[in-house]
Amino acid sequence: MKKWYAFFFSCFLASYALAQNTDVSVYVSNAQNNPVQGAKVWLRTIEVYTDASGTAIFKDIPLGNYNLKVQAKTYADYEKRIQISKGEQHFHAKLKPEVTELKTVEINTNAQAIRKSSEARNIDIVDQEFVQRHLGGSLMKTLDRLPGISSIGIGSGQSKPLIRGMGFNRVVVVDKGIKHEGQQWGADHGLEIDQFAAGEIEVIKGPSSFVYGSDAIGGAINLKPVSVPLNQDLGGSVNLIGKTNNKHYGGSVNLFGSNKKWFFDSRVTYQNYADYRVPTDKVYVYDYAVNLHNNQLRNTAGRETGLHFSTGYVGKTFKTAFYASNSYAKTGFFANAHGLEPRNVDEALHDASDRDIQLPYQTVNHFKLINRTEFNHSNSKTELELGFQHNYRQEFNHYTAHGFMPPVYPTNMSIPINLERVYHKSIYSGNLRHSFSINKHQLQIGFNGDYQDNNISGWSFLIPAFQQFNAGLFAYDKYIINNDLILHGALRYDYGTYQFERYDDWFPSQREVNGIKTEEVLTRTRDFSRNFNSFVWSVGANYNPGKLNVKANIGKSFRMPIAKELAANGVNYHYFSFERGNENLDPEVAYQADFGITWTEKKWSVNFNPFYNYFPNYIYLNPTPYHDRFYGAGNQVFEYQQSSVVRYGAELKVNYQLLPSLSTEFLGEYLYSEQLSGDKKGFTIPFSPAPSALLNLTWSPKLGEKLSNTYFSVDYRLTARQENIVPPEKKTPGYQIVNLQLGGSLVFNKQNVDMSLQVQNLFDAKYLNHTSFYRLIELPEASRNVVLSLKIPFKVNDQ
Amino acid sequence: MMKKTLALFALVLLIFAACKKDNHEEKDTQYPEILATANSFPTQCGVVTRGQTFTFKATFSDNKELGAFSLDIHHNFDHHNHSTEVNQCTFEAKKAPIKPFIFIQNYNIPAGSKQHEATAQIVVPADVDPGDYHFMIRLTDKEGWQTIKGLSIKIQ
Repeated sequence: MKKWYAFFFSCFLASYALAQNTDVSVYVSNAQNNPVQGAKVWLRTIEVYTDASGTAIFKDIPLGNYNLKVQAKTYADYEKRIQISKGEQHFHAKLKPEVTELKTVEINTNAQAIRKSSEARNIDIVDQEFVQRHLGGSLMKTLDRLPGISSIGIGSGQSKPLIRGMGFNRVVVVDKGIKHEGQQWGADHGLEIDQFAAGEIEVIKGPSSFVYGSDAIGGAINLKPVSVPLNQDLGGSVNLIGKTNNKHYGGSVNLFGSNKKWFFDSRVTYQNYADYRVPTDKVYVYDYAVNLHNNQLRNTAGRETGLHFSTGYVGKTFKTAFYASNSYAKTGFFANAHGLEPRNVDEALHDASDRDIQLPYQTVNHFKLINRTEFNHSNSKTELELGFQHNYRQEFNHYTAHGFMPPVYPTNMSIPINLERVYHKSIYSGNLRHSFSINKHQLQIGFNGDYQDNNISGWSFLIPAFQQFNAGLFAYDKYIINNDLILHGALRYDYGTYQFERYDDWFPSQREVNGIKTEEVLTRTRDFSRNFNSFVWSVGANYNPGKLNVKANIGKSFRMPIAKELAANGVNYHYFSFERGNENLDPEVAYQADFGITWTEKKWSVNFNPFYNYFPNYIYLNPTPYHDRFYGAGNQVFEYQQSSVVRYGAELKVNYQLLPSLSTEFLGEYLYSEQLSGDKKGFTIPFSPAPSALLNLTWSPKLGEKLSNTYFSVDYRLTARQENIVPPEKKTPGYQIVNLQLGGSLVFNKQNVDMSLQVQNLFDAKYLNHTSFYRLIELPEASRNVVLSLKIPFKVNDQ
Repeated sequence: MMKKTLALFALVLLIFAACKKDNHEEKDTQYPEILATANSFPTQCGVVTRGQTFTFKATFSDNKELGAFSLDIHHNFDHHNHSTEVNQCTFEAKKAPIKPFIFIQNYNIPAGSKQHEATAQIVVPADVDPGDYHFMIRLTDKEGWQTIKGLSIKIQ
């Protein structure tokens, strides 16, 4: 113990001794690596012009983090966060031509590295370029390349994030500062986010309740708005996309403009896709054989539109921006596997066209209006975010009598015959934060609050209507001891309340007591309310001496039970089970320990993130041995219960630069979970991803003047079998898949065209994904898919 | 410095390795079974008669402990057929239900049973619609694993 103490102490001393000044050189070039003379280079407030060799020299600069800015005629402004250290004194600023690439606010690995090393939690940051390269059917599918991230997918266009095996309401998605609130509790409900409209995306692995409140017990995905640079006049871009597997076509058009103080940004996205293809012609939906026409998954076609508009004012002390968006999707459900029970469907009708959407299907409309305002005071900052969201989801299906529902739909019903379920919610949210510094302490205090009004309709019932109110107060202290050592501490208090509305069946059920049959209208949920409050904390540290970055974080997080867990009482149309909520659930609590160790050399880096989690009362859906004889029509009852759960695992990331143009990367992830008490003691928790590794080789050659940013990249994913299961899951065999990515920027007539081409599942492997929603019906993942995406930036000159 | 870092790294790994408990207790991952015997009734394409009582008979087994079962009879006048059986029965023409027979009942199995001979008396009222029906048997074990058997039967 004494030795360890001495070790830590000596590290701190060493870093103190090293703090000194150094000379810094900045080399400025164009995209072809030719030097740019006369460019103005800023390092904080010092400015220097480049000489004939394109170099600017700064003398006697203290080590630390700086903002490097470069301006030169006919080139776009360049800005980058850099870290000046003993080994890092030479920087290269590669300027891009002004004409086409206005939108590119440099998001680069260096700035990301600085953010990662001053943040005690484990974060991954990706940008629109990553999205372009790895474009999947939805944003979350795109992100699941990251280590520790998987997705729960249903169909080709919808999926939900799974961070270290935690999903649904255990992951918060924050869009432009406001928590995205859709119907994230339902596995068949995608996330109403347009992946073309995302700017920088931050993925926070591990519990983050102290920042984002209740649901962030598994992690958070923070979608930042695209920032429009000032003084750009009018510009924009056109994205075009096509995919072979589901005959997908789509496009997104962006137009933006700005002057000295004002900006606007707008986008229109449309996507249209047919039924998707799997490498099999027969699936077994719980023992019921279903033939697939042309290997296509019957009725999984969809349409999506996204409209976005934002505008704002940027002043020295005051900034404000309004963001409005509306996303709409109409998507079909795999017709044979949706409903009260697996069913034969009218195959002739469905198979006539692979692009039509027949019953069953869903439509979702999500409207969002957000305002973000920032006041900069001399030594502090106040930020305010206000949001309104409106989510309207309808699910349509043929009327099927459940249990004692009348065999023929009564004509006097006011609900249309095909309207199975409706969820309709309005959400009002507000965040207020104030940041200030006292000596070496950077402090932030804040408030989050939201109110939700949830309504239901349709002839089928799963969860009742309810109102929900949440409020949270937090304080966060970042104590910067020196350049190398940062300590973090946070406290948060939350209060939440639910009010559920009573729901009675619209038909009588037959009850039998002592052989006497009576008819009775059943109450599915009674009127009730629940209140929760919780106190959470977190402490962390960053230690960054030169090439080593160490981070550690321990803390407590919590999650309020969601409406479905408290009050569900109906049929799950995908699992063919009867889900029953539990009014008496306690808030879920998690204790976590997270570590991160990174070692960075010029040619290679290693990053290792182990974590440990303990939940005294994890909420999970427990399949009981019992059946429901009313609404459930004899289906098995699944009931929400709590048990103590331990989870641990790690992610590993290794990069190696083999040659200047050839690099390789290894990403690995491992997760183990086990229930320590309750009915399923000894079993894992549902949706536990299997251990997985990804090996990448990227060749980025320079192929002449007209072509830049070229890359040829191959991903080899190797996933182990998952034998650690819990009812009703099935053991999933391991698999190997290969994905290819290639692309680059082509310049002609000062016009850039960014092209990216992907081949997903190159060898058309037939494999099952353990966390896919369709895993239980033995449905393989999508067949080979070629994705072509083009991006054409443009500028409107106002001459 | 480098060595110490590696030592720290190894220590962290060790801590995590130490957390992995040896848990060799066998988890039950086997589904219960619905066995077909000469006594089983009804069977695929079986026929029952209106106005009479028939006896459901089946043999259930599980490697550890059986849970419960449910029986569900509903009409198949729309040919939504979801039989789990390989051989298909001949169906009557599609028709609209007027007063179809609906039977849903859940049953317990005595605790600790690995094998169970299930029986149930089912009364088919005289005034229900005759025609094609489904007879669904859902069997669980104590852990919650479920096996489903869907039979096509006729009521005449």
